[in-house]
Amino acid sequence: MKCSSYSFRKKILVSVVSMSLPVMALAESNNDDLQTQIDDLQNQVTALNSEVQQAAEWKNPNTLIHMAGYADVGFVSPENGNDSFVIGTFSPIFHYQFRDVVMLESELEFEIGEDGETEVNLEYLTIDWFVSDYATILAGKFLSPVGQFRQNLHPSWINKLPSAPPGFGHDGAAPISDLGLQVRGGFPIGGVRTNYAVYVSNGPELNSETEDESEFELEGVRAEAFGADRDGDKTFGGRFAVLPVSSIEIGLSFVTGKATVTELENGVEPPSAGFESGFIGNETARDYDVIGADFVWFTGNFSFRGEYVKTEIGEAETGVTTGEAATWESLYTQLAYRLPGTKWEAAIRYGDFDSPHDSQDVTQTMLGINYLVSNNFIAKLGYEINDGVSGSAVDDDRTLLQLAYGF
Amino acid sequence: MKSIINRIHSQRFKLSSAGLLLLVTGFVQPTISADYPKAGNFSNGSKVWAENCNRCHNMRGPKELKDDQWISTAYHMRLRAGLTGQETRDIITFLQASNTKTVASGSTLVSAVISKGATGMETYEKTCVACHGGDGKGTLPGAPDFTSSGGALSKTDEVLIDHITNGFQSEGSPMAMPPRGGNANLGATDIAAVLKYIREAFGK
Repeated sequence: MKCSSYSFRKKILVSVVSMSLPVMALAESNNDDLQTQIDDLQNQVTALNSEVQQAAEWKNPNTLIHMAGYADVGFVSPENGNDSFVIGTFSPIFHYQFRDVVMLESELEFEIGEDGETEVNLEYLTIDWFVSDYATILAGKFLSPVGQFRQNLHPSWINKLPSAPPGFGHDGAAPISDLGLQVRGGFPIGGVRTNYAVYVSNGPELNSETEDESEFELEGVRAEAFGADRDGDKTFGGRFAVLPVSSIEIGLSFVTGKATVTELENGVEPPSAGFESGFIGNETARDYDVIGADFVWFTGNFSFRGEYVKTEIGEAETGVTTGEAATWESLYTQLAYRLPGTKWEAAIRYGDFDSPHDSQDVTQTMLGINYLVSNNFIAKLGYEINDGVSGSAVDDDRTLLQLAYGF
Repeated sequence: MKSIINRIHSQRFKLSSAGLLLLVTGFVQPTISADYPKAGNFSNGSKVWAENCNRCHNMRGPKELKDDQWISTAYHMRLRAGLTGQETRDIITFLQASNTKTVASGSTLVSAVISKGATGMETYEKTCVACHGGDGKGTLPGAPDFTSSGGALSKTDEVLIDHITNGFQSEGSPMAMPPRGGNANLGATDIAAVLKYIREAFGK
């Protein structure tokens, strides 16, 4: 009986051991497989971490580099003149930003002239220091904050029509740019939003024209940034705007300072000895004053805007150039409507420009229709009805086609 | 035997941990973006964006630029439009949340989001009102008029929930609505509630 019991236990033990061997072998096998999978995963995690860190480098730098801008090409058909294909401008804008502290902004302007020469201009270059939520200090060459058109609306992909309103281009009534120091920003007054810009700058210069090279009269105000202040007096200006409701903005602008004649027509030598203390001959610094007003109302598919600007140059007691005061004045109003559910947009603009020279004065009505291939790529067709001195260049009606692309 | 089983458990735990690590590194790390500016307010960002950009130029859709490009662009526009710093941060927050890809119709993307329990009206006023307007007629070119008979609300709930969930671009519209209106926190319950509110408030 004892022997039988011993034999039975022995059989059981042998059975258990023999059954355990394959389980142990299987466990060892599973263990090896798991170890292999863990090793593979660890390798993948290591590789992934490396890739993630490389990717994050570009997502999280302290310096951002960004390029924007716009370009336009077109076709111009004047009523009295030759039809021409034209390149309006190629205007890349460069942004270099260090965190939310400072940004360098610069826009270049490439144009092809009628003679085929390529012109390059620095449209603006500013270093913008974001000093608080309500103020940014800009230093450098900046677009004039007078009104809306020059600082915000002139890029071709933004302008609803293929030309600028009369008096808002170069040598018009509205200042283009200036070189100096500006503070701008926005702040709420109760529930009403406002924005502002104030600046001090070198100011504009004046040029003159002549018919007989002996008598000169003021031709225009060169209100573009100059790298020297030849009249010696700084110019001050700014704009303040209020948005009584979010769809309406009303702005008022001013500029005051001095300006002097620094260029005679066609490089004619001044009758007295060149520049003396920065002036041509005995030219003196004249008063320079600008006032402006602008508004915009937009809702849904509809926008209505307008702008007025007046530039006055004061009298001069001495000088090569005639001493009378002179005034340039311009206004425009524009209506645009996007046809609901389509990519078509219609626009109409009325503009008027008065200068001391009748040959430059023009009253203009412009009709336009746009096809928005996308919101930043627009095909425009416009027809300008110009009413100026009969036979002058500004009296010629024109048809304009333009492709404008903002990027 | 016990020791072997413990080792297997231990290896499985490591395997799970490794998988979790892979998930974490794979799905959290790539969403890292610049640590500036400070996060803004999404709802106010959508409102300020809708109220300001269209004043001068056609709206640029959120998907046109990447997150870092929106930072520079928004700071550039801060100067042009006279925005405050807070408004700029709010717009950046809105645009960075809204430049996600419009996903294929029928996606179940939203199922992973936990609903916050907001009412339909609360969701509409925080997420939708900037573009669709308080009166449901749309504040931007391309935004549909909810009050129009035969308009957007003539579609079935299934279609509209799909549009809200995955984003949608109407025929002739210059830009698309981002998935969930750009608000990643909207869950399926929120979307159903906001659609119910839109139908009750603006439907005919």
